[in-house]
Amino acid sequence: MNGIHHFVPVLHRGDAVGRHTLRLRDATRTRGFRSEIYVDTVDAETAGEAVPVLSYPEAARRGDVVVYQFATASAMAPWLAGRPETLVVNYHNITPPELMAPWDNHLALGQLRAQGDLRLLAPRAALAVADSAYNEAHLAEVGFATTAVIPPSAALDAAMTTVDRGTAASAPPATGRGARWLAVGRVSPNKALESTVAALAVARAHGDPEATLHIIGKPATNSYVAALRRYVAELGLAGAVRFTGHASDATVASAYASADVLVVTSEHEGFCVPVVEAMSAGLPVVAFDQGAVPEVLGGAGVLVTDKDPYALAASIAAVLTDPPRRDAMTEIGRRRLAQLDLETAADRFVNLLAPLTEHAAARS
Amino acid sequence: MGTDEERAAEALRAAFARLAPQGSDAWNFLAAFTHLGDRYGPYHPGASALSDALERQGRAAGRPPGRLRGLRRGRERQAVEGAPSELDEAMGHVVEAFRFLSARVATLEARLADEDRPVEGAAWLVPARELGPWAGPVAAHLLARSPGGDLVHADCGGGDLLHVLAGRGAVAHGVEPRGAIALQTLERGCSVTIAEVSEYLAGRLEGSVGGIVLSGVVDRLPLHVLLPLLRECRRTLARSAPLVIVSEPEAAAASWEAPARDLTQGRPLHEATWELLLDRTGFVEVAPLPAGTGADGRFAVSAATPS
Repeated sequence: MNGIHHFVPVLHRGDAVGRHTLRLRDATRTRGFRSEIYVDTVDAETAGEAVPVLSYPEAARRGDVVVYQFATASAMAPWLAGRPETLVVNYHNITPPELMAPWDNHLALGQLRAQGDLRLLAPRAALAVADSAYNEAHLAEVGFATTAVIPPSAALDAAMTTVDRGTAASAPPATGRGARWLAVGRVSPNKALESTVAALAVARAHGDPEATLHIIGKPATNSYVAALRRYVAELGLAGAVRFTGHASDATVASAYASADVLVVTSEHEGFCVPVVEAMSAGLPVVAFDQGAVPEVLGGAGVLVTDKDPYALAASIAAVLTDPPRRDAMTEIGRRRLAQLDLETAADRFVNLLAPLTEHAAARS
Repeated sequence: MGTDEERAAEALRAAFARLAPQGSDAWNFLAAFTHLGDRYGPYHPGASALSDALERQGRAAGRPPGRLRGLRRGRERQAVEGAPSELDEAMGHVVEAFRFLSARVATLEARLADEDRPVEGAAWLVPARELGPWAGPVAAHLLARSPGGDLVHADCGGGDLLHVLAGRGAVAHGVEPRGAIALQTLERGCSVTIAEVSEYLAGRLEGSVGGIVLSGVVDRLPLHVLLPLLRECRRTLARSAPLVIVSEPEAAAASWEAPARDLTQGRPLHEATWELLLDRTGFVEVAPLPAGTGADGRFAVSAATPS
């Protein structure tokens, strides 16, 4: 039996790429292929699930297909590019370095290296799978000849599928309290959370003085988080903005259940998992019209084209004061979620790989 | 969208953009050397199995460790291909690194000049105070003494003074670090930058300001920050341009919450102290400015830059 092996620089159980890789490995094994996850750096928490990459040359068999989970720069990229097996790249996007450079040049340099890695892999890959059409277009620009789109199989954690917003989905914010805005994702410059904070200041000055914002996500770089906290204080919002940092799935699910709106002001998104989570939770989404967000949202929210805090605050207020509109968006969100069909994403991915194993076997 | 909202939106964007540090100190220097050819940054033994293996292979082949390996590969390639010369390529990397270092050092020096003190004297701890009835006399003094150019008020709060000055045909600009109040003032049609005044003045050219009023800020910042601020005022003011200090009495701080009292100066300098500091900073015509009754304990001191 041929092998389909998965390669990721480090396997974290808590991050989206890690969970996706584990699901792919399981789906691959279920289909009867030999399948391991090879890592460059072993994480103690996932040591039982992963195999050190340097053991692969001895385990390699003719006809193997190797799948590289590409999200960061890694010495794994040139190493895989130099190997003879059939290579598949699963692309999760690279944040443009120029968005990071003013805040953390180290991260920006890493992204520059990642761009170089992607160019290196392009002529070697038999197939590149993007998690959105937006990312697929980037792959084509870089020179990948054969591409496909499959959404990330782990975009929706089990905890998110059980969120019960009850009547909150159609009810306006309760009398006597302000609207509860929610922002989820890495606290990173490309997320442009300052735009959400500025809009909150405008909203509180015009009509909703009790509005609050809950920011959940792991900091990408301390300089950005420090600036964001100072900005919050300078705008007089210290009591209105809550930073939770990295949170458990249950905490995130609970935040979706109690919020009134998910606000996404990212400058760059390759997929945007929180949009999917919000759709699952029946939470309205108001987002900047940027990156893969319109594609993933598919009409299940409001897209704001004018990146202005007044326009954003007005759009949010309009959604929160119009229950029929919110209900309609929730319904579109449910349909969009069904269309993405995340449950079968890992199987569909393996469907793409299976013919490659036959081709690789024939070649060998 | 109205012009005032556009201006307010831009002020909000600028207030955040100014907080970008352009990279950490450590990285600024680290990056210069990673540019010398080490593709995956500095080598950390044990962090990556592949990097460890490459390092072992390199040592076995007699290649130099870490970042110099890239240069060595370049020399080997040149020996085969002939051009460019070994010296050209090596010096190219060195020149690139020094250019990079130079730009980064300039950035760091600029940042050190207005070093961020996120808590000490922070404006958001202290409620804004308006000039109220003092706005008229202070405006009259500025307009009578200014040699021309725009007039700057820090902390401008709700913009009482800006409105009086604008009403008399002057170009007035407010600086207010409390974003919520600044937003209201911007929406009233005033020109306001959301920042500390020292940050704002750092971006102004020498001799480009027609007059400055410092109120509020002088009662919350510690002395070691006030002295550089006075020097910055001296630098940016035009010749013979007025500077006015408006200070609240100590009693005004009594109502502040405990963190504000602990983390700000909380004990305003005496009038005579301001006169001394202004004189030692090179201002002339230092004198009390009778701008109000003084019944509330507030006082003003005026000065001017030499002609």
